[in-house]
Amino acid sequence: MSLPDFRQRRGGKKAFQFNMIVVGASGLGKSTFVNTLCGQQVIPRRAVDDPSQCAIEKTIAINPITVEIEEDGMKMQLTVVDTPGFGDNIDNSSNFAEILGYIERQYDDLLAEESKIKRNPKFNDNRIHVLLYFIQPTGHSLREIDIELMKRLSARVNIIPCVAKADSLTPKELADFKKRIMEDIRYYGIQVYDFPFDEEDEDEETVEENMELRSLLPFAVVGSDEEINVNGRLIRARQYPWGVVEVENLKHCDFARLRYVLLSSHLQDLKELTHDVLYEAYRSEKLSKLEGLAEKLAALHVQDGSY
Amino acid sequence: MATNTKSIGIANLPNQTHKIVSRKGTTFTVMVVGESGAGKTTYINTLLTTTIKSYRDHTKRRDALSRKTVSIDVIRAAFDENNFATQLNVVDTPGFGDYVNNRDAWQPLVDFIDGQHEMYLRQELQPHRDDILDGRVHACLYFISPSGQTLRPLDIETMQKLGSRVNLIPVIAKADTITPKDLAAFKRRIRDAINAHNIRIYAPPVESETEGDDVVTPDGRTVKGRQYLWGVSEVENEAHCDFKKLRNLLIRSHMLDLITTTEDVHYEAFRSEHVSTDGRVVGSVARKDAKFKEEEDALRRRFAEQVKAKEAMFRQWEQKLIGERDKLNKDLEHEHSYITALTQEIKQLEDKLNKK
Repeated sequence: MSLPDFRQRRGGKKAFQFNMIVVGASGLGKSTFVNTLCGQQVIPRRAVDDPSQCAIEKTIAINPITVEIEEDGMKMQLTVVDTPGFGDNIDNSSNFAEILGYIERQYDDLLAEESKIKRNPKFNDNRIHVLLYFIQPTGHSLREIDIELMKRLSARVNIIPCVAKADSLTPKELADFKKRIMEDIRYYGIQVYDFPFDEEDEDEETVEENMELRSLLPFAVVGSDEEINVNGRLIRARQYPWGVVEVENLKHCDFARLRYVLLSSHLQDLKELTHDVLYEAYRSEKLSKLEGLAEKLAALHVQDGSY
Repeated sequence: MATNTKSIGIANLPNQTHKIVSRKGTTFTVMVVGESGAGKTTYINTLLTTTIKSYRDHTKRRDALSRKTVSIDVIRAAFDENNFATQLNVVDTPGFGDYVNNRDAWQPLVDFIDGQHEMYLRQELQPHRDDILDGRVHACLYFISPSGQTLRPLDIETMQKLGSRVNLIPVIAKADTITPKDLAAFKRRIRDAINAHNIRIYAPPVESETEGDDVVTPDGRTVKGRQYLWGVSEVENEAHCDFKKLRNLLIRSHMLDLITTTEDVHYEAFRSEHVSTDGRVVGSVARKDAKFKEEEDALRRRFAEQVKAKEAMFRQWEQKLIGERDKLNKDLEHEHSYITALTQEIKQLEDKLNKK
């Protein structure tokens, strides 16, 4: 279902909203990617830190930024949550809980709102619809931190794995790397967003499209803050002494496909999955936990005889 | 002071030294440290233009991940270039920086370096020391991940620990993922961080891009490099990376300096702390590493074998001597009985004479 259809059905008053979170080690080009995606400087260039401070271990920061962008002629409100500091410390065991906590808090907010007698019509739904995980282009396979992050968060959010700085790998290295990553993902039982489709329900075109997207996983990402003159056109690219990598060139990387997926073709699917499956699962888990607690409490009261 | 106008041949000393050294050959040990995927294996193989270090076996990757340890692997190779023999050792450190929790990941590295110093020290204090096994690390290449930003806490802590014990050379691996402008800024930030934390390094950070197959450039040349869809980055082209500089530094021009500073500076520092005034080794390095224990056991076994061999030799000599002694005794007895017989004969003859 495309954006325009949905807008018409909804009445199209509220600006279309989409929330994503980007996770990955420092220096993998997440900020550049986000800026390239939005076509504007959304996440500012990181300030040059005081060199004497770089040995200090910091906790990760969670920075949501909202921008208005236009895609396919439609205006939308895109919120990107940046997570600087992930994987930077010597001991990164506490990183996962921080991110999971943020995601669950957004679910809690909605849960609380839904339970109110008088609901706020202007309530801002900040639930995360997709998590882009940036994998270091080692060329080998998934690292422990990649496996742990994806395993722990896959039950709460749609995860789309990406190969960061994909221009550091030759075409063959990239293909082998992607293959090994998907093998690892299957081996460790990690549930990623793999463009699910129902062969019976949907038309052939959609099925084919989803199958193709699934085969591209993880998406090879290249981003650039600069525009370079290539054959008379100004395009986003990276200039090396031996050549120019064009960000929007499908032969050079998967960026263009990923952008289309996120902001057009699969935006609706991601939102629906978040609401119908992930949020519902969280809701029932939380409520049954509360119920269980309430029961225990009641049992205690009876024991006390304070009833 | 009279000046000698006729040369006596002293100027030939360097040539003599050259002949002596080239006959003896040398040992050179390099340690490589860095996260997996940083490009260490490819780098070593490119540097030595041979596949001395085998590439990662991906089928075994899940066992390695579950072990969560930093191990030490030593690869040994003998090189012969222009009749100059070198025993080259490459010390790999798989597992370093690969886990979620990398607390104290530098400990096995430091233990290994100190352990090699100690092993040399113990051999040096032996009465016979003409056949010393020298495993001391002459250079340590620390591979920095090309994040483009700055050094991380793990890098700082590890380089501080290493820099005080070994010749440390920081390397920015996979430099071909950073544009030249960003690379210059990155190098600068790294140098600033190194200075700010007083890390002792042997040489300023060198960037490297690696290998290495023969590819054809768009303008028709065949070079060693990496083929991308948008061009070919050449390893040996100095405009593309510092690889040549580092190879020259490591091998062509500074190898001797690396060896002598290890001996004169780092080893001496270790020695002064670990030898008491009566010549005994104190404060032994706690050897937690299995690989090192293996070497130690091998050395012990070697000594035990030599002792056994000598003892067997002595026993053999002893047997031989006993045999000779017995033979001589027998001869002596034989001669003695002959003398006795002769003496008797003489007596008989004398008696006969006296009776007449």
